[in-house]
Amino acid sequence: MPSGWSWVVHILYFLLSICCLRGAGALVQSCGYITPESPVLAIGSSFTAWCILNESCLDYGNIYASQIIWKTKRSVVPKEQYREINRTVSSVTFNDTSTLATPLTCNILADGHLEQNIYGIDVRLGLPPEKPENLSCIVHQTSRSRFSMNCTWNPGRATFLDTEFWLRTRWPQETFNDCKAAVVNNSCLIPDVQFFVNLEVWVEAKNDLGMMESEHLLFDPVDMVKPLPPQNLSVTSGILPTVLKLSWENRIIPAEMELKFNILYKISDSPDWMEVPPEDTASTRTSFTVQGLKPYTEYVFSLRCMKRDGLGYWSDRSEEKSGVTIEDRPSKGPPLWRKIDTSHSPASWTVHLMWKELDHYEANGIILHYEVTIKARSPLSRPLEKHSVNTTNLTLELPKGTYDVTVTAHNSVGSSPASVLLIPASNSKASVKNVRAAPHAGRLWVHWIAPNSHVAKYVIEWYEMSNNSSYVTEWQQEPGSSQSTFLKGDIKPFKCYQITVYPLYADGQGNGQSTKAYLKQDYPVKGPTIQTKKVGKTEAILTWKHLSVDDQNGFIKNYIIFYKTISGNETAAKVDPSKTEYTLSSLSSDTLYTVRMAAYTEVGGKSGPVFTFTTQKFGKGEIEAIVVPVCLAFLMSVLLGVLFFFNKRDLIKKYIWPNVPDPSKSNIAQWSPQAPAKHNFSSKDQMYPEGSFTDVSVVEIEADDKKSFSEQDLKPFDLLKKEKSTSEGHSSGIGGSSCMSSPRQSVSDSDEGESTQNTSSTVQYSTVVLNGYRDQIPSVQVFSRSESTQPLLDSEERSEDNLGDATSPRHQYFKQNCSQDETNPGESHFERAKQNTPPINEEDLVGLPPMQISGQSSQSYGFEPQKNMQEAALAGALFPSTEGQTVIPETLGINAATVEEMPKSYLPQTVRQGGYMPQ
Amino acid sequence: MLYVAGEISGDSWGIFAFLCAALWNLPAVPALNNTDEAGAGQSIQKTYDLTRYLEHQLRTLAGTYLNYLGPPFNEPDFNPPRMTRAEMVPSATVDFELWRSLNDNARLAANYRAYTHLLCYLRGMDGQVAKADLRKSLGHFCSSLQGLVVSIAGVMSSLGYPLPGSLGSTDPAWAHGPGPISPHNDFLKKMDDFWLLKELQTWLWRSAKDFNRLKKKVPPAAVTLRLEAQGF
Repeated sequence: MPSGWSWVVHILYFLLSICCLRGAGALVQSCGYITPESPVLAIGSSFTAWCILNESCLDYGNIYASQIIWKTKRSVVPKEQYREINRTVSSVTFNDTSTLATPLTCNILADGHLEQNIYGIDVRLGLPPEKPENLSCIVHQTSRSRFSMNCTWNPGRATFLDTEFWLRTRWPQETFNDCKAAVVNNSCLIPDVQFFVNLEVWVEAKNDLGMMESEHLLFDPVDMVKPLPPQNLSVTSGILPTVLKLSWENRIIPAEMELKFNILYKISDSPDWMEVPPEDTASTRTSFTVQGLKPYTEYVFSLRCMKRDGLGYWSDRSEEKSGVTIEDRPSKGPPLWRKIDTSHSPASWTVHLMWKELDHYEANGIILHYEVTIKARSPLSRPLEKHSVNTTNLTLELPKGTYDVTVTAHNSVGSSPASVLLIPASNSKASVKNVRAAPHAGRLWVHWIAPNSHVAKYVIEWYEMSNNSSYVTEWQQEPGSSQSTFLKGDIKPFKCYQITVYPLYADGQGNGQSTKAYLKQDYPVKGPTIQTKKVGKTEAILTWKHLSVDDQNGFIKNYIIFYKTISGNETAAKVDPSKTEYTLSSLSSDTLYTVRMAAYTEVGGKSGPVFTFTTQKFGKGEIEAIVVPVCLAFLMSVLLGVLFFFNKRDLIKKYIWPNVPDPSKSNIAQWSPQAPAKHNFSSKDQMYPEGSFTDVSVVEIEADDKKSFSEQDLKPFDLLKKEKSTSEGHSSGIGGSSCMSSPRQSVSDSDEGESTQNTSSTVQYSTVVLNGYRDQIPSVQVFSRSESTQPLLDSEERSEDNLGDATSPRHQYFKQNCSQDETNPGESHFERAKQNTPPINEEDLVGLPPMQISGQSSQSYGFEPQKNMQEAALAGALFPSTEGQTVIPETLGINAATVEEMPKSYLPQTVRQGGYMPQ
Repeated sequence: MLYVAGEISGDSWGIFAFLCAALWNLPAVPALNNTDEAGAGQSIQKTYDLTRYLEHQLRTLAGTYLNYLGPPFNEPDFNPPRMTRAEMVPSATVDFELWRSLNDNARLAANYRAYTHLLCYLRGMDGQVAKADLRKSLGHFCSSLQGLVVSIAGVMSSLGYPLPGSLGSTDPAWAHGPGPISPHNDFLKKMDDFWLLKELQTWLWRSAKDFNRLKKKVPPAAVTLRLEAQGF
């Protein structure tokens, strides 16, 4: 409890003391204070502050110096820096004030650790001013007789404190008002200055930490003047073409100062200023005549002034004014050149004289006209020609010869010296050597080696090479001493220029020497279009055209051909730029290649379109090498076969077509009736009562022939028919099909008697069946029909003996064939015929077998009835063996085994079956 | 400079010898050693320039001021008799022979006193001018005249002459200044102003002559060097 009471007492005391203090009003007292009050400290210096406690507070609050806590801003100063002087005074020391934060407070730690602020001070940190340096003053003229002085200096480092700078001015016995530097600490303006009295000037810098003074300057302000520039400058031309007179007003009077001037001038379109020699303008003046100018040229002038003795400053430059000098005679004749056109007549020239306009500085005025004179040298005798022209060219028709041409330019003042050009009859003099041209510093530079003899001047001609034919030749003249020049003109980049240098002598002219050049090269516009000229198995000849001049954009250094297969790597081949053909070798055969070509200048290249080609499968001659031997071998084998055939002819004949005894020649032949023809008509009438075949005489004749037999010999046919009908059942479909077409046709033809033409055309043969004599089986005689209207049968009849060899075996053969049909169920020609043509006559049937043969052959040859039938008939007549052959292919598909046997079994069968063979 | 150029064109050995001699004799050239005299020469030249400058300024100022005063003061042939009151202004109308007979010191002292006095009057005049532009010109002129006084004092001190003592010691009429005896009559005051300007003009004219003469007597340092060198 007692401790609790003491707390209450303490608190009451504090409250009371505060109330009392408040009540005291003006007599506010704190419990202590800090000394020094609000110090200004130099950064980095040491500083000690004391907190002094009031005795009264000690009495009431038990507060002592030992309880003091020093704080800077919010942080407590370490105790080491404190010093308790006595019970009421505590000091704190900072060795380096640069870290000192403001405010610095003195606090008491009362009982119960209650911190009470006793006092606080604001500490200002800064630096004393430095000595102002580099003080300088300049007196500006503001208007006539009005001057103000501006002085500047370097204020030195920042002080972090309010620092005043005062500019002080003083005469020996007179002090003027000081000028306080405004906002910026480094200049001051004194509005009124007095000349001719030395003025002492210096700067004082002052702040809480100190004061510094600059060096003292002692000068007469008149020596520091920057005058106003002269005004109202005017330029007037004089009597001479080389002078201009300037006049102006000075804004400073001689009593103030004497002036000197600096006159600057330039040609109006030139950037370079020239200066009138200073010694000519070293005194006060208001006018000056500038000499040594170019006639008829606009000059721009400007000037400035300063004190004559050179003290002070140059004024700004005056406004610029320009003036033009008056005209003078042209100083030089125009450069002259010619172009001679000799094309239209051998004896005369068209001379195009051309000259250049004089440069401005040479023309010295406006050129009004040119005068041209042409004087012929001997042997030509022509009066002196004079022309006055306004243009810079003149075209004349002159006889071939040597001429002296002069051109003079005229302006309002006079004429120029004459330009002379000798036009010799021929360019017989030495020409220059080794003309070269190259770009240099953005222009085309031409160099040549002069000939040994003295050259008066050179003419350099050039033109832009282009596919466009309308080029313009430009030219320029160079003195005889030069060996190189820059082309003066609009030289475009990426264009090829043909440059020609002509030496002109006093007494003649040399031939021009040319070169080509580019100002700047680029890669070509496009690449060459490549094509194949010839493609082989492992090589291809490629061809292309040179790029046009317009597309080149530079000198083509080389071509590169890139080629590759679809999957392979690209191969490059470098090609000389002069070539237009290149052979790619070592290619793979039968391969697709893509090829493209790039043209390269020194800058780079550009590829042309891609071209594809395929190499050949066989090389040149390879096919021939294969085909020719094969053909030869074939021929040889054929030849050998033929030879063999001829050699073994007898043997072969024996096997293939053995000699068949001619029945007509046999004794039996004599038995046969000799005149069957006598009954022809009657028999025919019987046979064709309708008379439908009357038109076809041959057939009729044949028919007659046949009929002569048929009437009598129907029986044996009946037998045949019976045989066939019996064999009908054995015919296989396959065999039938092979004989289908021809029998049907022939049968239908014969059977449908309505179309006589058909009949006449298709019934090409007739079969004569002879009655067997005395129970002998008659041989069937086949007559082939020829297209010729020759009465074959007559001749046959007559030459029966001759033909017997051919026909008789045929009968035999046919017989055999028919009999073979019977025996061979695979072939059923007759059956087919019968089936398809039920109403056929037995007589007609007689003709069937041969028809079949021809039909077969026609079938095998692609169904050409008329021709093939005839051929087949002939073949049948002449080479019965072919019949068998024609049959064989038909039957091949049917039964190979049978077919193979067939040829072998033919004869024996025939022999066996025929039974007729007279052995 | 011209002399040197002549030497160059003449004989290179000559110029070399001249330069050597000049260097050898440099310490002996009195003008360079006697800084006082050199300073005097310069300050005399400056004072002379200043008097010419003031003459020019006064010509402009007088025209403007007389116009400001109005007729008859701005009439060209206005030539009033010198009033008694105007005698308070030191008169420049000293007999020419008498003036010539004075020594430099006396003349300088007379100049100094006259301008000091004139300046006092002029400042009084300055305060009464209502026209700002004119007041500005007048103020500038006053400052320049003040400079002349300072300049004359400088010349005197550089020539080793004592500055004249308190004003009016030689002529009590000048000693009082304009204040107590300023006329209340406007016309008379204008008359005083007129005479003041007239006296100023005369004094400046005379001073110019004086300083020109003095200038010739005490040449500036550069001139001295050349003369000395030529003498060698």
